Amino acid sequence: MIKILGSFKIVPDLDLLAEEDWIADEKNRVDVSYVKTMWNCFDESALEMMLKLSDNSESFGIELQLDAVTVGGERCESYLKTLHALGFDKAVRIECQEELQFWPEMTAGLITEYVSRIGGQNVIMMGRQSADGDNGKTPLLAAEQLGWPCITQVIGIEPVDEEYLKITNMVDGGVCTQVVRVPFVLSVGDAPCSYLRVPTLKDRMQRGKRPIDVYTMAELGVNSRFRDIEQRAVLRCLEPVNRDREGIVIEGDTVQEKAAVLYRDYLKGRLMKVERNFQP
Amino acid sequence: MALSREQIVEGLENLLGADRVITDEKVLKESSLDRYRKFEQTHEVYTQPIPAAVVYVNSTEEVREVMVFANENKINIVPRTGQSAIEGGLETAALNSIVVDGSGMNKILKVDKYNMQVTCQCGVPLQDMDDMLREQGYTTGHSPQSKPLAQMGGLVATRSIGQFSTLYGGIEDMVVGLEAVFPNGEICRIKNVPRRAAGPDIRHIITGNEGALCFITEVTVKLFKYQPENNVFLGYTIDDMKKGFNVLRDVMAEGYKPSIARLYDAADASLHFDWSGDSNVLIFMAEGPAAIAKATADGIEAIISKLEGVNAVDPKIIEKWFAGLNWGPEEIAEEKEEILATNNIGITTEVSGCWDCIYEIYDNACRRVLEEVPDMTLMGGHSSHSYINGTNMYFVYYYNVVDCTPEEEINKYHNQINRIICEEVIKYGGSIVHHHGLGKARAHYVWEEYGSSFYMLETLKKAFDPNNIMNMGTLIPIKHNDKNPWEF
Repeated sequence: MIKILGSFKIVPDLDLLAEEDWIADEKNRVDVSYVKTMWNCFDESALEMMLKLSDNSESFGIELQLDAVTVGGERCESYLKTLHALGFDKAVRIECQEELQFWPEMTAGLITEYVSRIGGQNVIMMGRQSADGDNGKTPLLAAEQLGWPCITQVIGIEPVDEEYLKITNMVDGGVCTQVVRVPFVLSVGDAPCSYLRVPTLKDRMQRGKRPIDVYTMAELGVNSRFRDIEQRAVLRCLEPVNRDREGIVIEGDTVQEKAAVLYRDYLKGRLMKVERNFQP
Repeated sequence: MALSREQIVEGLENLLGADRVITDEKVLKESSLDRYRKFEQTHEVYTQPIPAAVVYVNSTEEVREVMVFANENKINIVPRTGQSAIEGGLETAALNSIVVDGSGMNKILKVDKYNMQVTCQCGVPLQDMDDMLREQGYTTGHSPQSKPLAQMGGLVATRSIGQFSTLYGGIEDMVVGLEAVFPNGEICRIKNVPRRAAGPDIRHIITGNEGALCFITEVTVKLFKYQPENNVFLGYTIDDMKKGFNVLRDVMAEGYKPSIARLYDAADASLHFDWSGDSNVLIFMAEGPAAIAKATADGIEAIISKLEGVNAVDPKIIEKWFAGLNWGPEEIAEEKEEILATNNIGITTEVSGCWDCIYEIYDNACRRVLEEVPDMTLMGGHSSHSYINGTNMYFVYYYNVVDCTPEEEINKYHNQINRIICEEVIKYGGSIVHHHGLGKARAHYVWEEYGSSFYMLETLKKAFDPNNIMNMGTLIPIKHNDKNPWEF
C-alpha cells in the first residue's frame, strides 16, 4: 500500500506584520510572535494535492494512506486537527520549541527518522521551501538521507496501482509526466491547487477530535545539540520593498483635459520620434 | 411608455456627456450586484437585471438633473459611492436601472478645526479624509472595517458604524449636517449646528435611507482630537460567552466609555488568534486624554479582576492584531481566489439586542444554523458595539458550497442562514440589522422588524419617492414571497 507522509511547516503570516514592525529586536531578530500563523503555502499545495489523489484513488479502488507531520510546538496542533478532520490517518507533531530556521538538515533528519523508525511511509511530500527560512533544501536533504529519489516542481499526482504513482512535474522548458515506483520524495513548488479545502464542523466533530501523535527528538534518536540561531544567521539589514506607485496619475478636471496632458507630456514626443524614424 | 435602454443612455448622455455614461458590458454586470451575492460575484455569474448605464456625477446639480430625468421617466436609480455594500443595497433589482456613482465628488470642502467639524462631498474616501485629519492631530472617530473602500455618502446612507463606536458612536452620532437630492429634484441642505429642537431631527430621514429616498451629496461630520499615544489595550480570554456579555454590560452600566469593547466567541476568535484555543476573547481599548484613557482602563480591569475564568493576554498582541483588521482591495482579491479554489465562503450578518436577550439570540441562532444548514465549516461571531442597554452580535459563518450552481447558492445557504438569524432576533425583540443596512435581502423581514412603525417608513417612501424610482427593493422589498420570504 502507498503511504504518503505530508510534511508541513506552520509559518507566521507576514502580510499581517505592519511595515513599522519590520525592525530588529535586541536579539537581532524580527519579532513575529504577535502575528497569526498560517500553512506554509507550498506545503498547503502539497497537502491539497494529497487529498485530490486520495479522491481519485478511491474511484480506482486503490487503497492509500495519508499521514501528516510537522516539527514545532503546541501552536501547530490546531492545524493537525484540521488534517485529521480532512481524513488524514495519522497526524504527528515532533516536539521542538527551538528555531530551526537555516537548519534544513535538522528538519529533514527529524522527518526521515520518524519515517524510518515509526511511520513507515513510502512517499514523503512537502513544499519546496518555507516562507520564512526559504532555503529550498528540506525535501532534497530528506531524499538524500533516505537514499530515495526526489522529484521536484511537482504539479500533479495520479493513482496507478498499489506501488506506482503517475507524477507530473515542471522541467526546464516543459512538463514531464512519469510513472514512478515508490519510495520517493516529492517537492511541490508553484502548483495549480494552492489552497487546502476546509473541513465541515461535522468532519471536525467526527474525525478531528482524535489525539495527535507527539514524539520528542530523543524518541526519534536525534540528540544533536542545538546550535544557537545566531550561529547560523545574523540579521544585518532590513529594507522595506519600494512601494512607490509605478504609474503616473494625470491630474485634470475633465477627461479632455487629462487626455490633452497625456498627449502633450507623454505621447507627442514619442509620436514625433516614431515619425522621424519612419522612412518609407 | 417606458424608455428603452438606448433611449435611457441617450438621455443621460445629453445630460452629462458620453464620457460619463458607462455602458461597457463588464462594468454593467459588475454593477448589478454587491457582496451579498459574493458567491455569484466570485464566479462572475450575474442573476440580477443588468443596469442600462452607470453614470459618474460630478456635482449636486448633475445629481439633480439625473434624478429628475429618472423620475420623469420612472427609471430605477441605484445611488452608490465606495461600492463596499454587502446586503444587496447595490443590486439593480429593476430592468434598465441607472447606477449613479458619486465617487467623483471627492472634494473635502472645509476642515473647520475651531468648530470641530469637517465638510466633504459624498465621494470622499473615509480613509483618505481620516488619514489627512490624523496628520493634523484630528480624526472623525469613524473606523469601519470597510474604511479602505467606503466613501462618506455611502457610510451615511447605510447608517454605518466604526470600530471605535463605543466612544464615538455610529455615523448618526457624528453627522452634523447634510445635503441631499430628492427624486423630484429638490435639493435639501440641513445646516450645521450643535443641536436643535425645531421639530423632528430630519437628518434621520437621510441617514440610513440606503438610497431609497434620496441621493446624499454632501456630509458634515464632527472632528475629535487624535491622541493615539494615550491608547491603552486590554485583552483577556474568558471561559463563557454569557459571562463575556455580562462583562460588556457591567463596563457600560458602570459608565465607562472604552472606544473598543469586543467579545469574540471561540469559533470567531480562531480566525484571528492562534492562542485563544477553546476560549472566548474579550478586547478593550481606552482612548482620549491620558487621564481618561487610564481611568477607563483601570475601571475595566477592576471589573474583570473580580471574575473567575478570565485570563489576561499580552496587550501588545491585541494592539498588533487590531492594526491589521481592515479590509481593502487586496484582501478582496485574495478572498476571491480562495473561494474559487476551495468553494468555501465566509459571510457575516450583524444584529442587535438588549442585554437580557443577546446571549439567547447568539446561542439559538448558532445552534439552529448548525442543525438546519448543511456543509457549515464555521459558525460563530462577536459583539463589537456596546450601548447602555444592549449590544450587537456580528455573526460570522463559513460553509462549503456543495452540489449546487453559483445561481443556486444564495437560496441553499446564505438566505437560509439569514432567515434563521432574523427569526431568532425577531423572536427575542432585537433588531435584525445593526450596521450594514437592510439592503434587499433582509428587506424581506421589514414588516417584522418595524412592526406598527412600518407605517412611518412606508409613508416616508411614498412621500419622498412617489414613483418608486429610488433603489427599488431596498428597505421595502419587491417580488416578496409571503410563504417563503427567504427565497428570492
